[in-house]
Amino acid sequence: MSIAGFLNDSIAVAGNEFRVFRRNRSAVLISLVVLPLFFTASLGAGRGGAGYTYSPTANIPIAWVDNDNSLASFRLWQSLATSPDFHNLIQGYTEKGALAQLGTKRIYAVIVVPKGFENDLENGNQARLILYTDDSEPGLSDQVQSTLTTYTQNFDVNVQVQPYLTQLQRQTIAGVAIVKKGAIFAGFNLGLTTVLAIVQIFAVFYEIAGGISREREEGTYARLLVSPISTGSIMLGKTLFDIILSVIRTFTILGISVYAYRARPNTDILTLLMLSLIIALVTMGIGFVVGALKMGQRAIVIIEFFMILFLFAFSGEFIDSNLLVGVSQTISYLLPFTYAFDALKRTILLGRPVFSLTFDLEYMIGSIVLTYAMAFVLLHFSRERLIA
Amino acid sequence: MKIFVRDTIAITGKELRQLRRDPVSLLLTIMFPILLIGTFIVIVSAFRATTHNVPVVVADLDGSPASNALLNQITQSRFVHVTQLVQTEDQAYQEVANGQVIGAIVIPPGFGVALASGDAFVIVSTDNSKLTSSQFVSEAVNEGAQEIVTQATQEGGVSFGLKLAPIEVVTRPVSGRPPTGDPILPGFLGLIAILGGFDDIVNAISRERERGTFPRLSLSPVSLLAVYSGKLFASVVLTILRTALMLIIFRLYGLVIRGSLVLIFLTTILIAVFTLSLGLTISSRIRGSATLTVLEIAMTFPLFSLAGTFSSPLLLAPGGMAIAHSLPWTYGNDALRRLIYLGSGFSAIAGDLAILLISSLMLMPIAILLSKRTM
Repeated sequence: MSIAGFLNDSIAVAGNEFRVFRRNRSAVLISLVVLPLFFTASLGAGRGGAGYTYSPTANIPIAWVDNDNSLASFRLWQSLATSPDFHNLIQGYTEKGALAQLGTKRIYAVIVVPKGFENDLENGNQARLILYTDDSEPGLSDQVQSTLTTYTQNFDVNVQVQPYLTQLQRQTIAGVAIVKKGAIFAGFNLGLTTVLAIVQIFAVFYEIAGGISREREEGTYARLLVSPISTGSIMLGKTLFDIILSVIRTFTILGISVYAYRARPNTDILTLLMLSLIIALVTMGIGFVVGALKMGQRAIVIIEFFMILFLFAFSGEFIDSNLLVGVSQTISYLLPFTYAFDALKRTILLGRPVFSLTFDLEYMIGSIVLTYAMAFVLLHFSRERLIA
Repeated sequence: MKIFVRDTIAITGKELRQLRRDPVSLLLTIMFPILLIGTFIVIVSAFRATTHNVPVVVADLDGSPASNALLNQITQSRFVHVTQLVQTEDQAYQEVANGQVIGAIVIPPGFGVALASGDAFVIVSTDNSKLTSSQFVSEAVNEGAQEIVTQATQEGGVSFGLKLAPIEVVTRPVSGRPPTGDPILPGFLGLIAILGGFDDIVNAISRERERGTFPRLSLSPVSLLAVYSGKLFASVVLTILRTALMLIIFRLYGLVIRGSLVLIFLTTILIAVFTLSLGLTISSRIRGSATLTVLEIAMTFPLFSLAGTFSSPLLLAPGGMAIAHSLPWTYGNDALRRLIYLGSGFSAIAGDLAILLISSLMLMPIAILLSKRTM
């Protein structure tokens, strides 16, 4: 078959995919509106947009119990209460009364200044603060403790009004300041790496594997296979169709991220589009392989769910892959999506040129070739069995 | 009334028999909890590792006894693995920029002298795209500095210019549990109830519609209310089974459950009932079972961060907190955490349960009405 004929057939298949897609309002809504909008908006709302900073501890109701009633304890209370991190310090509780309220949602932590606090400080000894926390709130204990420690590390009992802590003072431990270098990125840039990859993987896998499965269940797939169109044209046609959807999704996500949550990617739009499409192609390859295994639509959706869960654990998105141990790390290094997340982070967050990430690109392109080849062989055999 | 109860039981029995005959759905019901816990174990084991070996390079540009002491501490750190000692600051940064290491620690010239006057600093350059690893690098330097102070205090060794922090913060969790990664387990239980509820509605309504059995069911002498309540009770039975399975896994994992088991089951049932109501409403517009499942799974993932599964909603940005407080699931997760960790009684979680119940009571009639219209 000539190349022109092959391309003609592919475009015909892509056109058919579009017609079917256009007629299914739910699919259009889910694929192009709900998934990008829902993921981006919910993540943006949770983390806050770029350029917007907030203190997680600022509005948490915390009881302040002063058993020392000294000048030192008053100055410490003053420095905390006037800081941007503790707006909701509540006085007037006894230690017993405050502890009884802990776990009732009225207060979430109790700071107790024990007797002898001032004496310890004056004698050059290390004084203590007791922090009781409602540890049924995940992450709250660590957050309150680390913020409180920042202030106690730098507390000077001889100073009436504690100075506002600079970023450097906040990072000073035992008299050694830690000057942090390295790219500092806007809050939602990180969210953008997550949303871009997860939405593409989620949508593309269902469109390819679920599409083949739906056609098989409806009986149109068998007709397509026995038509004179080659297996390659069918795969290319479906790929072209999904590439166009992926482009639309990429721009939707970028639009919401940049304009609603003020994400500022440290890279150009072409790099973002290219990486987004590479991720989509890796997923399409896997989608074709799964689609060729003759599974029902429901099984495809279940596989999709587990695949996303799998990615959360192993792809380095939730926890850096170098921190995983044993078999988990091996799985992580074998997954092409690990390299996809890595490439997205290095370009969007650090501004690295995409072509400098040679290994990441090679691995992903290798995965695309491998999965497409596998899918071609599987689909080709199933076609031959059908015709025979 | 007697007939209604009998019909409800008959429909419940039919639903459970149907599930037993569908291996994919049955597998899903059992595999959800196991896979979620599997994911949790992978993540927690990474955090709990005794050593992390995050690769770093160190440039000691001072060469004083103080910088040597700090370098020794960093080398022995459980957080980092010093792969190379470099001679210049630029070399160190270049290693990070090239992606060879995750952090570069630079001890500047004059560090020892500055330490005596309390003005010492160390430069830590990290690849911040590796979020957790870069924090470990800073942690290694922090620990190194603190360790020198501790040794000097305990052994009367060379203290350089370092001093103890004036105030130590001692944290005591109200539950008395050691701080571990467990806080997300109750959230997982809530998530299982949500996913299970969504899955049940797909099985109960959408698939029947696709098979064409739903109109037959509605044309039978069984009242429509009995059909819906039968399906609801089947889902309640499945939620009880899923909750029991999760609690067994929790116990095997070593989690101590303090609260009343009855209240835990009641909470998961209410979470599932609310999810069923929502699922029923959505299913009146989206008819295909696979499309509905995709949508429901897509809706579930953002709940990881917004409904208090992984972290407290109190720590979210104001916008996120507002969304969290408008989601009834948040109250369900909150109640589960209080029951499991704090052993709270009914009065402590009554408000949470009331929100779930009222939300379901408001949504369920709307869902049934919409569902009837599209029948």
